[in-house]
Amino acid sequence: MTQPVANCPNCGAKIVFRWSSSVQTVCEFCKSILVRTDVDLKKVGQVADLPPDSSPIQINSEGKYGNKAFVVVGRILYEYDQGGWNEWHVMMNDGTSAWLSDAQSEYALSLASKAPNLPAAAQVHVGQQFTWSNQRYTVSVITPAHYRGMEGELPFQYWDKTDVTFVDLRTESRKFATLDYSDPEPALYLGEFVEFDDLKLKNLRSFEGW
Amino acid sequence: MFRKFYLLYGFLTLGTAAFGQYHGWSLDTVNQLKNVPKSVRDNPGSYRSVYSGYHHYTGGK
Amino acid sequence: MSAGAPPLSGPPKPQAKGLNCPKCGAAITLHSFGQAVTVVCGSCHSILDAKDPNLAILQQFEAAIREVKPLIPLGTRGKLRGTDYEVIGFQRRSTVVEGITYYWHEYVLFNPYKGIRYLSEYNGHWNDISICKTLPTTEFGGAAIANYLGETYKHFQSADANTDFVLGEFPWQVRVGEQAAVTDYVHPPRVLSSEKLDKEVTWSIGEYMYGREIWEAFKLPGDPPEATGVYENQPSPVTINVTGIWLAFAAFTVFLLALMAGFDMRAKKEPVLHQTYQYNRADSKGESSFVTDVFELTGHPSTVEVKTFAPLSNHWMYLNYALINQDTGQAWDFGREVSYYSGYDSDGSWTEGKQNDAVVIPSVPAGHYYLRVEPEADPSLPNISYTVDVTHDVPVFGIYGIAFLALLVPVVIISFRAYTFERSRWSESDHPPMELSSFSTSSGDDE
Repeated sequence: MTQPVANCPNCGAKIVFRWSSSVQTVCEFCKSILVRTDVDLKKVGQVADLPPDSSPIQINSEGKYGNKAFVVVGRILYEYDQGGWNEWHVMMNDGTSAWLSDAQSEYALSLASKAPNLPAAAQVHVGQQFTWSNQRYTVSVITPAHYRGMEGELPFQYWDKTDVTFVDLRTESRKFATLDYSDPEPALYLGEFVEFDDLKLKNLRSFEGW
Repeated sequence: MFRKFYLLYGFLTLGTAAFGQYHGWSLDTVNQLKNVPKSVRDNPGSYRSVYSGYHHYTGGK
Repeated sequence: MSAGAPPLSGPPKPQAKGLNCPKCGAAITLHSFGQAVTVVCGSCHSILDAKDPNLAILQQFEAAIREVKPLIPLGTRGKLRGTDYEVIGFQRRSTVVEGITYYWHEYVLFNPYKGIRYLSEYNGHWNDISICKTLPTTEFGGAAIANYLGETYKHFQSADANTDFVLGEFPWQVRVGEQAAVTDYVHPPRVLSSEKLDKEVTWSIGEYMYGREIWEAFKLPGDPPEATGVYENQPSPVTINVTGIWLAFAAFTVFLLALMAGFDMRAKKEPVLHQTYQYNRADSKGESSFVTDVFELTGHPSTVEVKTFAPLSNHWMYLNYALINQDTGQAWDFGREVSYYSGYDSDGSWTEGKQNDAVVIPSVPAGHYYLRVEPEADPSLPNISYTVDVTHDVPVFGIYGIAFLALLVPVVIISFRAYTFERSRWSESDHPPMELSSFSTSSGDDE
């Protein structure tokens, strides 16, 4: 697939989209949030400097999930009252988009899923159970969070969000689910916890002394 | 681990018991002598045994 | 974007941060690259906010207890499960059970890629602990149990854990004096622990480790503290399935019985000599020894049984036997006594001894044999007629008796050791085993 090239409308720097269906990216040089239309790129906002964080993953890190390889192309950094976590946008080698979350070195990979009758944020409570894809999920934590920063390419528009609610659902296995209330329509992500070693990550950040 | 040891040990024990049974082992103590001359058949008194002169008395209660 | 170069919009390169304590000015270094939530100033015992560039003070605590020194110093690195971890935090916790305070220690371990693990130490027993990602399920009714990743854990203890002393960095809002409700479920060598603090429940899974493993992993000098008692998830040194061993024993016993039956059927039990002789006191002045007729033993070397019978009554008789191979001169020499006494006394009638005797001579090869017999008797016995029976190839049941004991003894010993170890383990729990010699009405089991 050819990688579309364009110029940043704000500073003119070269912008490359690694994923042809990326909707949004951040200009490395002027930190403008750029959204892709049919014709050109439009600046919709400015992203603040990312705070120092502890994730060993960075843009262009590579890894494996099952038998598919992936590349890290973007991220959203969230914060809540107890800390923060990263949602890394990864591009699988078959062209699908997935999310690798890193919360204090606990890693999980999930994919956007469709399911009917997803509940509204106000209707969800801890302990509630749902069944998706023949798997029973139990609501474990409801977290109000807000996004703190972003970089790289994202598959949707994501900027200027205020507090959003995330609902974590767990199972008796490594599978888990997330209900994301960033948009008016609830979004469901189904995934599983993964071990760092199984991801076979390459091109990670280096840490001083390690 | 112990299970393997015990299984081996058990088979060895049974094997030894079978071996002993086949070869005629006994629990009694017996003295073996060699070269008893054929003349003993004609003159039993000439045989000198380890146990000769044994006097044993077991009385009542 | 060139591959490999860090993007310009990325966060600053992670490095250990050097800061100063706002209270006393002491130097504070953060080693966890942003994963710590709280950090303790070791000089003035202030708990500081690790996420705040100014290190706001969250709590000041009195090190009322004398300074506790971690056995593994902060900053030490060690290899666990193939990964290097650095000790970044330490705490002393305690619980009170029936008026007695028990202390234990926990270490916070950090690796920038793998995250955070914990080590706990109590009385020389260590555990390698990590937070559960999947949730265990619990069942109540009868004995409380928990299920996690296909294993069943039995409830061991529920207690309140107090945090008494802290050092270093922590990934949660630690406070001295905070109390958590801790419940342990065990499936040796693992322990499943739930910790409830301010309505939030965290499950962790621990695996038992020996002090020497820790010392090797962290290359610590000297010796680890000796482990006293049996710890809740300490693996049994008698790592066997006791039922399985008894089944093996039962199978061996069946084999043994089959052997017995088989050899018994196979034994020829061939009578080769049956003769009655007369003993006369008068003849003993001369030579009393004599030889029997020659008999033939055939086949492979096997047992020869010599039975003596004399209808004695309050006398004894002694026969010096020799089984002699006529051709090879090989002989088996043995002496047998037959005595029988009986009478009456205040307790009734009694008897002592037997009128017959049997002895088995081992491994006699085939050949022509005779017995040389030299009889002796009680001086008060004038004469007696006695019978000598020789049987070839008889089974020896004593061998099976020894084999049975040999099979039984190890199983009994190992079962006993496993039993006492488990009793020791559970005596420390909320469900202590019942006292064997107790006559009290209360049973050992709590609810």
